[in-house]
Amino acid sequence: MAEKTASRSKRLMTTGGIIFLVLGIALYFLKAPMGLTRKIYDLPVFLIIIGICSAIKGFTAKDKTEEEAALAGKTFTEFLTNNAILLAMLVLVVVICILQPRFMQIRVALDILTQSSPKLIMALGICFALLIAGTDLSAGRMVGLAAVISASMMQTATYANRFFPDLPQLPLWIPIAAAIVACMLFGALNGFIVAKYEMHPFIATLATQVIIYGVCSLYFDMPPNNSQPIGGIRPDFAQIGQLRLFNGLWKGFPGISILIPIALVICVIIWFILNKTVFGKNVYAIGGNREAAVVAGINVFRNIMFIFILASLLYGIAGVLEAARTAGATNNYGLGYETDAIAACVVGGVSMSGGIGKVGGIVMGVLIFTVIQYGLQFINVSPMWQQVIKGVIIAVAVAIDMTKYRKK
Amino acid sequence: MSEYLLEMKNITKTFPGVKALDNVNLNVRKGTVHALMGENGAGKSTLMKCLFGIYEPNGGEIYLEGKKAEIHSARQAMDKGIAMVHQELHPIRFRSVMENVYLGRFPGHMGVVDHKAMYDRTKALFEDLELDVDPLALAGEQSAAILQMMEIARAVDMKAKIIILDEPTSSLSDREVDHLFKIINRLRAQGVAFIYISHKMKEILEISDEITVMRDGTYVGTWPVTDANGEKLTIDFIIKQMVGREMTNQFPPRDGKPGSDVVLKVEHVCSPLRKSFQDVSFELHRQEILGIGGLVGAQRTEFVEALFGLRGIASGEIMLNGARYSNKSPGFAKSRGLALLTEERRATGIFGILPILENTVIANQRNYATFGVLNDSRRLKDADEECKKLNVKTPSLNTLIQNLSGGNQQKVLIARWLLTNSDILILDEPTRGIDVGAKYEIYNIMLEQIAQGKSIIMISSEMPELMGMSDRIMVMCEGRVTGFLNKGEYSQEKIMALATQFAGRKDSTAA
Amino acid sequence: MRKVLIVTLMLMLALGACAHADDVKIGACIYRFNDAFMLRFRQAMQAESEKLGAKIELADGQDNQSTQDEQVDAFIADGVNVLIVNPVDRMSSQSIIDKAKTAGIPVVFINREPTEEMLATYDKAYYVGAKAEESGTEAGELVASYFKAHPEADKNKDGKLQFILLKGQNGHQDMILRSKYSVEAVKEAGIEPVELAGAIANWDKLEAMKIMNGFIMSIGPENIEAVIANNDEMALGAIEALKAQDYNTGNPEAYIPVVGVDANASALEAMDKGEMLGTVLNDADGQGSAAVKLAVSLAKNAGAEGADGKYIWVPYQKVVRGEKQ
Repeated sequence: MAEKTASRSKRLMTTGGIIFLVLGIALYFLKAPMGLTRKIYDLPVFLIIIGICSAIKGFTAKDKTEEEAALAGKTFTEFLTNNAILLAMLVLVVVICILQPRFMQIRVALDILTQSSPKLIMALGICFALLIAGTDLSAGRMVGLAAVISASMMQTATYANRFFPDLPQLPLWIPIAAAIVACMLFGALNGFIVAKYEMHPFIATLATQVIIYGVCSLYFDMPPNNSQPIGGIRPDFAQIGQLRLFNGLWKGFPGISILIPIALVICVIIWFILNKTVFGKNVYAIGGNREAAVVAGINVFRNIMFIFILASLLYGIAGVLEAARTAGATNNYGLGYETDAIAACVVGGVSMSGGIGKVGGIVMGVLIFTVIQYGLQFINVSPMWQQVIKGVIIAVAVAIDMTKYRKK
Repeated sequence: MSEYLLEMKNITKTFPGVKALDNVNLNVRKGTVHALMGENGAGKSTLMKCLFGIYEPNGGEIYLEGKKAEIHSARQAMDKGIAMVHQELHPIRFRSVMENVYLGRFPGHMGVVDHKAMYDRTKALFEDLELDVDPLALAGEQSAAILQMMEIARAVDMKAKIIILDEPTSSLSDREVDHLFKIINRLRAQGVAFIYISHKMKEILEISDEITVMRDGTYVGTWPVTDANGEKLTIDFIIKQMVGREMTNQFPPRDGKPGSDVVLKVEHVCSPLRKSFQDVSFELHRQEILGIGGLVGAQRTEFVEALFGLRGIASGEIMLNGARYSNKSPGFAKSRGLALLTEERRATGIFGILPILENTVIANQRNYATFGVLNDSRRLKDADEECKKLNVKTPSLNTLIQNLSGGNQQKVLIARWLLTNSDILILDEPTRGIDVGAKYEIYNIMLEQIAQGKSIIMISSEMPELMGMSDRIMVMCEGRVTGFLNKGEYSQEKIMALATQFAGRKDSTAA
Repeated sequence: MRKVLIVTLMLMLALGACAHADDVKIGACIYRFNDAFMLRFRQAMQAESEKLGAKIELADGQDNQSTQDEQVDAFIADGVNVLIVNPVDRMSSQSIIDKAKTAGIPVVFINREPTEEMLATYDKAYYVGAKAEESGTEAGELVASYFKAHPEADKNKDGKLQFILLKGQNGHQDMILRSKYSVEAVKEAGIEPVELAGAIANWDKLEAMKIMNGFIMSIGPENIEAVIANNDEMALGAIEALKAQDYNTGNPEAYIPVVGVDANASALEAMDKGEMLGTVLNDADGQGSAAVKLAVSLAKNAGAEGADGKYIWVPYQKVVRGEKQ
């Protein structure tokens, strides 16, 4: 009996996938003759992709043991609560697609991925602080610092208001390295106060946040710039954030923003660090029980230092990319990014009390957030309502997450 | 009117995949102490949580004084006269004792607290229980015993009819236990019923009137401690009921003798804190189990923590295998072959939210890493082997350690330190809160390690364990070493004499 | 020894106070330093003060009205002869006017205009600025004349102008008037304006970029015939979003005219590259020097020369491809 349920869910996935696939292919060829091109856009392609993924998953899914199947069968409501936010997002996507069929474009999907990328880099940085039951309020300001520093040294020679009027055209890596190193110095400061004085990261990073903003504003206000937004960015630098790979591979293909592969690579690296290195295991241990970590002979000081430095490295990268993507910078860049990043992490299942969190969850959290925000903007929901909805999502997502851990 | 004050009938409670309680019965008479016994994981705590409204049972009924009772929250339980004193107390450390006693039900009018009334009532309550504590003292400054009695005072003040005591004596000295029993006796005479959970057989035989034994979530039986013929139950009988088999020996036989070479030599080690350990000197031989005895407050834990680098040392010298050793950090101690199993398993031992695998290998990560990158298969293999060797009962290595029983958690922690291949194992209360079967297993592990050429320092507050396992006993009192006893000259009286040597002369030690 | 030190210190303080006794000391409160437009304004004020031999002190309100109120108090306590205030929230100007009135010193508002009623409560309260409606009108005219000169700009050939409006901070007078009059100007020119979408981007480049990106995706760039932004930073943000879709990069097939206001350096550069159609110069230099001239004259009780009642209006200028028209 149990075996039947197991294979049924497998078969359901496979056949469902194939139906989607066939439907997608049919629509793909029929949409032009039926005059649907302007009504369903790239829906067929999405159907094909979903179909293939689902079919593959169905084929390769492991045969569940009797016990697992029994659990899976009984816990349909559990499945709902576990994936409530994801399901809410899917419903929203369908509604948006009906209201505004343009949403069903490949370029929209790519755009969502592009916008998620810097957020993902931020979230991956901040997750380390969350994993040790801390937080990092200085993240957003570090983005601003990195953006201003890198942009200030990356202006074209002919631009009227240059930050450093006599600066020669530097090789790309120098300003980038300078920006990231500046962030890492402040990251080290964060780590030092947290580890050395056992200060709560909330306070430590709050202090650093204010310092960074001050320092960044001082730098930004240096004559002759005097707090002007930095413009006239060199095209080669802007390319770091704006380059689109495979642009025009076929007609109408907008290309894949370079930000996506950058975020992906960082994602893989962070996954590796968290799961396959001594440092990663130590992070979970310190977050799980700091006292026990000390007793187990883990060098907590060194690990906390490293956590904040690594995180600031990621913020620095995000800041440089932000400057390149917008071809400009002001000291207000990055304002409030940390709260978005924390929210995405939390929605992705990272526990604020430390020790719990996975890279996969964070990716989901960021995507869910971006899709919802983007979708609401797409159907022109007022920004004020967007704020309300965002807040509700955070509260509901975490509330649902908490019920998972509660027994009764 | 029923014969019983409390009847729990056919209580069943299931968690996803596990049947924690299966038709369990518990009947408690008015004015008696009812011991609830069973190995860890037998379901005692779950049963009490059902009674106290923390869990909802899936089946069964609860009757109070013959009337069916619906208990859905701790609040309701308290309203019905049920109070619980938990094993680990969490007082509000920075508030006074009296505020802790009246927490959640401060006397007063319209939200204004009447401090005078609170003080007077606390004072009267304490006097009644012969507790010499200032109601205004901070809760955080009180000993575990005082806190426990404070909780009992709270229960008394709430007119509790049934008081649940969960492992009340696990961190109490013998004198404090006597005081606790005095209070229990007094309240019992007033008609209060106690449900008393403990692993300590002697205590139970001394204090309780009836015993209910549970095993693996099922009800085994209930017996009066003294039967109609005036004969007492025997420890062996109770153990047999608990484990379901005959336990012939509490301690495994010790083969062989300690070696003569000294592995650790401690000379005149003093803490920077005056009230902590002072002038500690001893030698530890290869293949020796050195027991450290003493009362609560003897600074034994503080001393071994200092040895392991968790606390500072002001003066003195430590020689490890003939070379000078400095207690820089736990990491350094680990690299020099020391291992410390701490007293507070939950606070400083386990990583509750991490799987058993991580908990087993965490102290030994470096040996699996090349340039910081871990070799997963070797980690898994080592953890698996070690946990199997120590007979850790778990469905898989990916189970979170917090879901294991105390005994199994302790075995995982021991496995952690065995993996680091340490020469000297420092075990601080290695069997606290662990059931009889697991205790025996841990004793066996200790002897195995000795046989492999290692040495052990063991702190224990349980006299039989201290005398049964140690090759030599060092007794401490108020931070100082008051004497050594060799095997053969052990007796409870001698140890107590040394452990209380400074009692009543507090002023001299403070100087 | 200590007495000597104290005496020296007091002497220096006294001297310092005397040194400027005759000079006009201006206390200028700027709503936020890192605003490109206000930067030029500040520089113009400093240059003019130097020319007139007045001393000017600047304070950064950090976009926070209560911070600015404190700064006004500090200036008054410090004994400035006249205040120049660029209010964070123009509707909160009354309290600043009251403070100046109590202290008996003149106050000149710049860039953000208090209401007529507020100015009327104090005889020495003035406003120097540009008529915001004028900037809106000129931006609208820029788009209208482009639309007329380039028939291909009417992408759907309906004779109407389908445009996107990027607005500044909510409630800001410039945002309200520029938005209104730019659309009016298009209408005046005989073209029917159709607002496809409008959104508040708070004068900010990054925010405008995100919003514009959303519009490009949801409306489609082929349906957008113009972008009208309340300032240059937002126009530049819109251009970055367009460039990401290969628009406005030199290909005449893929071009959407974008106009802004302010004529800042980045906008001029974008116009040189052909990415931006045009902008309207909000004459920061003219306004800055006019404000200081007025302030000095008021401080010396020399009256308000060239004022139209309580106002001095400095005209806007259209800029296309880097040249003033």
